[in-house]
Amino acid sequence: MATAVVARPVARPQSRNRDEEVLVWPDLVFIEFIAAMVFTITLFALSALMNAPLLDQANADVTPNPSKAPWYLLNLQELLLHMNAGMAGVIVPTIWLVIMGAFPYFDRDHEGQGVWFGTEGAVRLTVVGSLVGFIGTWGLILWDSGKIAFFLNDWFGLSGGDTFRFLENVRSIQNQLPWPEWSRSITYLPFNLKILDQGFQHLDFPAWLVEQGIPTAVLVGLPALMIYAMWKLGWVVTRRDALIALFSGFIAAYGVLTLTGTAFRGQGQELVFPWELKVSEGIPGQE
Amino acid sequence: MVAEVTIAMAVETPSKPTIADKIYDKLFHNYVWKSVFRTGYPNTPRNQMLVIATNVFLHLHPTRIHRTHVKITHTYCLGGLSFFMFLGLTVTGILLMFYYVPSVERAYLDMQNIQTTVQFGQLMRNMHRWMAHAMVILVFLHMMRVFYTGAYKPPREFNWVVGVILLVLTFLLSFTGYLLPWDQLAFWAITVGTNIAGSAPVLGPKTRFWLLGGFEVGPDSLIRFYTLHVIGLPLLAAIFMAVHFWRIRRDGGLARPL
Ligand code: HEM
Repeated sequence: MATAVVARPVARPQSRNRDEEVLVWPDLVFIEFIAAMVFTITLFALSALMNAPLLDQANADVTPNPSKAPWYLLNLQELLLHMNAGMAGVIVPTIWLVIMGAFPYFDRDHEGQGVWFGTEGAVRLTVVGSLVGFIGTWGLILWDSGKIAFFLNDWFGLSGGDTFRFLENVRSIQNQLPWPEWSRSITYLPFNLKILDQGFQHLDFPAWLVEQGIPTAVLVGLPALMIYAMWKLGWVVTRRDALIALFSGFIAAYGVLTLTGTAFRGQGQELVFPWELKVSEGIPGQE
Repeated sequence: MVAEVTIAMAVETPSKPTIADKIYDKLFHNYVWKSVFRTGYPNTPRNQMLVIATNVFLHLHPTRIHRTHVKITHTYCLGGLSFFMFLGLTVTGILLMFYYVPSVERAYLDMQNIQTTVQFGQLMRNMHRWMAHAMVILVFLHMMRVFYTGAYKPPREFNWVVGVILLVLTFLLSFTGYLLPWDQLAFWAITVGTNIAGSAPVLGPKTRFWLLGGFEVGPDSLIRFYTLHVIGLPLLAAIFMAVHFWRIRRDGGLARPL
């Protein structure tokens, strides 16, 4: 019996330290009241100053260009431009939510609990992790939209010519390399496996590489590389350290993706500056 | 000797009640007040604890908490404010429901009417919209604060998981509400959003069809999104919030260093 209790110390709430405690009324209730009032007043003021948008009535025949999801989904819409749709829209976010949900089961010790940045080097890991996420995400977006090749050419006169054209963005790896014909249709099943609507029998390897292979390698590889480098440097020692770097990188990447999708994607989802953003409404194909 | 006795007596004699004391007595020690609140006004430690313990709403709290947790910089009230947004959205949402009919013929006209002819209609709509945005942001920031204070560590593992579920529910609540104005913004955002969901391998197309009640956004989508938005998802969110709050208490209040 006793061992059963000892074996699960995690379920035990912390002991209370009564002389360190204050009364909830008034100390906490007062703060909650003030916070609620501040938000109520601010939101009333905001609502008085700024109206919620209401455009023309919905019309399935008139597609705005660009059409955008609600802002908190624009990170996924941005990912969608760079890889297979199912991967960007569903698989990546689902896997990330599962990973995030599993954080506490991976990092189980009590160190640094209940204090902001309570472990050694936590601030450094947060800053560096965020920077890696920020710069890495921007870099990848710029590369994949062909902007890096454009800058190199236009600003520095550096052109790879036709030899390096395949490096212009991820899609050009599929289009600009002399893939042998057979690699574009590799039969990997002797029958056509029909799951619901799609059939699976042949693999277009270059397309697979560009839409799934490389994105997967980047999404798994870059964070792993970052944590490995930090471990080599002696910055990441505990599981908590690894999670801080990973989570901070995620927050930065999430922020960059949301911001790009919201403010930097113009007509045809071209990468533009926010002040160049405009929306045209037209009949599809006639804009 | 004599002087000493008088001083002691002066201390022990209660001072004559002032007008304020009399009003206080009339207000808080009468039969009706006590039938509602049981305790007097919370001006003594005993009453302050009783008011928390005997009031169904305040009773979400313990009667006493650790000193560090009332510091604003520990939580920035982010979880509490997320909940407050949820409450505010419920109130403004119910008000909007009085005027809004989720049919393709009426939805857009009702929105225009809410903005132009309903008393405070525009204000209610604005409040509902901005609070929804605020809630998404607040919940996300709350998650960040929980992470960076290491508050998901044992014994709070499961409450973190409940939190992740609440995050998803918050996104879904906001997403389903987005279609209801039935304007171009709503229609195309939901078209894009459900296309994203529909791109999932194997289950995607079915999920999309199930969400929209058809192959594209139409009358059936509107009623589905409406039902999810006003009852299905809020109910789920309320249940998970109840679990979330209950677990905070069961896990011994907020996390602090061992
Ligand atoms: C609708 C969404 C949510 C509501 C209304 C909510 C509400 C709250 C409240 C009121 C607290 C008390 C402390 C505080 O205010 O910070 C709290 C604590 C907590 N929340 Fe949330 N929360 C939500 C979402 C989340 C999310 C997305 C996560 C994480 C993924 C999360 C994880 C936690 C944990 C682990 C605690 C305990 C913190 C500690 O012990 O210091 N919650 N929540």
